[in-house]
Amino acid sequence: MKSSKELPAQFQGLSYNDLNAMLNLYGPDGKIQFEVDRYAARQYFLDHVNNNTVFFHDLDEKLEYLVKHEYYERETLDQYSMNFIRDLFKHAFGKKFRFETFLGAFKFYTSYTLKTFDGKRYLERYEDRVCMVALHLARGDEKLALHLVDEIIEGRFQPATPTFLNAGKAQRGELVSCFLLRIEDNMESIARAVNSSLQLSKRGGGVALSLTNLREHGAPIKQIENQSSGVIPVMKLLEDSFSYANQLGARQGAGAVYLNAHHPDIYRFLDTKRENADEKIRIKTLSLGVVIPDVTFELARKNEDMYLFSPYDVERVYGQPFSEISVTEKYYDMVDDARIKKTKINAREFFQTLAEIQFESGYPYIMFEDTVNKANPIAGRITMSNLCSEILQVSSASEFADDLSYKTVGKDISCNLGSMNIAKAMDGKDLATSVEIAIRALSAVSDMSDIASVPSIADGNRKSHAIGLGQMNLHGFLAREHIYYGSEEGIDFTNIYFYTILFHALTASNKIAMERGETFDNFENSKYASGEFFDKYTEQEWAPATERVRELFEGMHIPTQEDWKALKASVMEHGIYNQNLQAVPPTGSISYINNSTSSIHPVAAKIEIRKEGKIGRVYYPAPYMNNENIDFYEDAYEIGYEKIIDTYAAATQHVDQGLSLTLFFKDTVTTRDINKAQIYAWRKGIKSLYYIRLRQLALEGTEVEGCVSCAL
Amino acid sequence: MTEKIQLTNKVEAINWNRIQDDKDVEVWNRLVNNFWLPEKVPLSNDIQSWATLTEDEKLLTMRVFTGLTLLDTLQGTVGAVSLIPDALTPHEEAVYTNIAFMESVHAKSYSSIFSTLASTKEIDEAFRWSTENVNLQKKAQIIESYYHGEDPLKRKIASTLLESFLFYSGFYLPMHWSSHAKLTNTADLIRLIIRDEAVHGYYIGYKFQKGLEGASEERKQELKDYTFELMYELYENEVQYTHDLYDPVGLSEDVKKFLHYNANKALMNLGYEAMFPSTVTDVSPAILAALSPNADENHDFFSGSGSSYVIGKAVNTEDEDWDF
Repeated sequence: MKSSKELPAQFQGLSYNDLNAMLNLYGPDGKIQFEVDRYAARQYFLDHVNNNTVFFHDLDEKLEYLVKHEYYERETLDQYSMNFIRDLFKHAFGKKFRFETFLGAFKFYTSYTLKTFDGKRYLERYEDRVCMVALHLARGDEKLALHLVDEIIEGRFQPATPTFLNAGKAQRGELVSCFLLRIEDNMESIARAVNSSLQLSKRGGGVALSLTNLREHGAPIKQIENQSSGVIPVMKLLEDSFSYANQLGARQGAGAVYLNAHHPDIYRFLDTKRENADEKIRIKTLSLGVVIPDVTFELARKNEDMYLFSPYDVERVYGQPFSEISVTEKYYDMVDDARIKKTKINAREFFQTLAEIQFESGYPYIMFEDTVNKANPIAGRITMSNLCSEILQVSSASEFADDLSYKTVGKDISCNLGSMNIAKAMDGKDLATSVEIAIRALSAVSDMSDIASVPSIADGNRKSHAIGLGQMNLHGFLAREHIYYGSEEGIDFTNIYFYTILFHALTASNKIAMERGETFDNFENSKYASGEFFDKYTEQEWAPATERVRELFEGMHIPTQEDWKALKASVMEHGIYNQNLQAVPPTGSISYINNSTSSIHPVAAKIEIRKEGKIGRVYYPAPYMNNENIDFYEDAYEIGYEKIIDTYAAATQHVDQGLSLTLFFKDTVTTRDINKAQIYAWRKGIKSLYYIRLRQLALEGTEVEGCVSCAL
Repeated sequence: MTEKIQLTNKVEAINWNRIQDDKDVEVWNRLVNNFWLPEKVPLSNDIQSWATLTEDEKLLTMRVFTGLTLLDTLQGTVGAVSLIPDALTPHEEAVYTNIAFMESVHAKSYSSIFSTLASTKEIDEAFRWSTENVNLQKKAQIIESYYHGEDPLKRKIASTLLESFLFYSGFYLPMHWSSHAKLTNTADLIRLIIRDEAVHGYYIGYKFQKGLEGASEERKQELKDYTFELMYELYENEVQYTHDLYDPVGLSEDVKKFLHYNANKALMNLGYEAMFPSTVTDVSPAILAALSPNADENHDFFSGSGSSYVIGKAVNTEDEDWDF
């Protein structure tokens, strides 16, 4: 830290916590005090980081110490010559990386960096972490390692938390962040699901489970009526499992459960999140998601009742689990089938209840089942999503013997993620390389992952090599370029950017398939193999519609129809390596470290108040914001749902999986407004909805004076 | 209790379609929207963090929360109830019943914190301490005596000072912890309480000012003098209480600034000028910013539910909404 940047007199004596908090209080001139946060970051290094970092004379001494004491994995370093490693670290430190915000630095040192085993002293700087991640993922490929250091340290690519946190460390969790499990309607499958949840959250990430196939409350067991207690007790088991297991204390285990809207327990499921729910059925920390088919919207449109179908009977009639049936397709057949027990509720009332619960708790997430399956290029059916509602992949059921061993190993889902910083990627002017390096890094994570404790996950990963390349900092980029979020130019940019990314992602995956002579399993039955997937790109021209966006892409090549035709031919001949390529996660922590706005959302506030389990209340200024361009940082509550959905719709058409989409409302709205937004999203072809967020402003007269987040 | 509070002279059916004071509806709606129960907050996520506190810090925290429990018990069982007979409108009565209920929810919330974090022995000791601590008992007695007094406006003054001032020596601590990344879920719960108390103090203060309208100058002066006298008395006691609690961890100076800040706020709620100059109200920015009662913080499934959600207004969708 430079000594020339002495702390001004009025800030002397304030701690870094105080300096950071001053971001949320207006200065004497009535303006946001942006500079205090930089002082906070600097003070954090001076007062805390520097004093608590273990000192080494040189890199050799450091690496030797860290390997010897089992902090670093020897295998990671042994793949390279010491000369190369020295050069790589020197190269990384030569980039003069600095954290832009206090939260970025604080988050890195609290949650990511390597610490001594007693947790008291730091062993890594940011550059060290980046190099270890690069060395680990490149698996001996010097060129790739060097590329990766450049991409990460210059901010264009940021691996997801589990990868960035764990790579290269000897004592660590898995590199993968996200798992999805099916549960079938039998005790063995439920027990396996609990065990798998424990195993997976111990190793690192969020687990989502589908409850759709479980028989409902009151369903028969061994043909005796009124025996089953439905999905709630299973949710309780899972909730407790997740709070028991956490990743070396690094973060709490977290889980989500999905249920089809036409499952008879749907109201019971939703009521677990009611403010006045009985303690016995109340679900506090488990996230909920509802799978809604098109027919539910049709029924609501006609203001009809919607029938709920017993999964127990459906499975007996169709010989397939409930989740494998398209409710939209079979709805009227099932209504007319006397063998299937059913109950009914009013469809509009269902949507209203959904919105009421979302008011109180932010849940459930929603997955639009038919939209998702129509857009799915892979053979098979998508029946659920994950904890962040962006993973959308096909799965198949496992079968178990009485002793819980597998009779047949089905296919469950894991997904490793990483996100590109749109502003930095555009500044880099070489999207093809940036995307290729990112796809290679993510594929490496898939190749290196083998979750032996859950065979259906390990098998699924081996066969699919599925990855999820995400994007973040859209709002930061647009605002920096003086474009309003959700404006014509904003949407035009989103469309062309995602269009270009898709092209490069497929190209990279195709390249890897050629190098290795290997595609994902069942490629031959995909819409990639048939070429059908490419129709919308070869038969139609995609180009910027506005002058401003053409300018932004100046000096960069936007793929043409000819490019797509060539790519189509190559993919049909050689295949692609990854079954799934893109998914846009909500990017919490990593966007702070990377100085980005989250995902492709608008900012939640100009100065965001972030509450983190490990950090407490911290304040984060939107990237690139200053008192001059502040108007371009309209927050999500001001922007309203239409512009957000329009922006997401522009991106969704080029993304094979999903995008986490949170809807933001002021507390003056009603359930009807939330329903309208959901209808709008569904009509616009959005695949899934994440949280509903509400902002309630303090009653006039009770707010804290001069507080930025109060005066909106 | 030595005397029975007479709740009402005659019973009149409350008609929410005839509103005398719009503030009643506004505050009622706000309170209903803000309804919550302690079970909402995943306090058990704080167990690990609790273990990192020193013995002194744990003791302080337990004592602070027992102190708060006592005040909330007082406000729930006596304070808010004693305001009912003085209500100017039937809707005001309804608001007080809501306030009384939520105060009991608050009192119970502290027990949730205790039972999650501490052992029965520690809890019992903290409660024993609360009955023996002179300053704590004194402040409860001062307030209680005014609740049982004759003057309805004085009751409102006492109530406002309690809601807007006396709670805050206790609220300081969880805000302090949360700005140091400790007990952050407990801080969420306390923030929900602060969100309520801010509305309560504001409303009772507002009703006090309403009651003052039309009073003689003499009477106005009497009440003003009385307010400042009571404030001094409570302040003196509060300073003692603060030193008692916070000296062992060296936070007393900052807590006192916080007291000044909130004393000014309480006086403002009653319509009076500030008592302390801004030079002694410069509370640490981390505490002040943490206090913001707005529901706008950002969190995810790893960080608990936050204080952001409210009970919504249900409205049917109409045919035009489904026109696709």
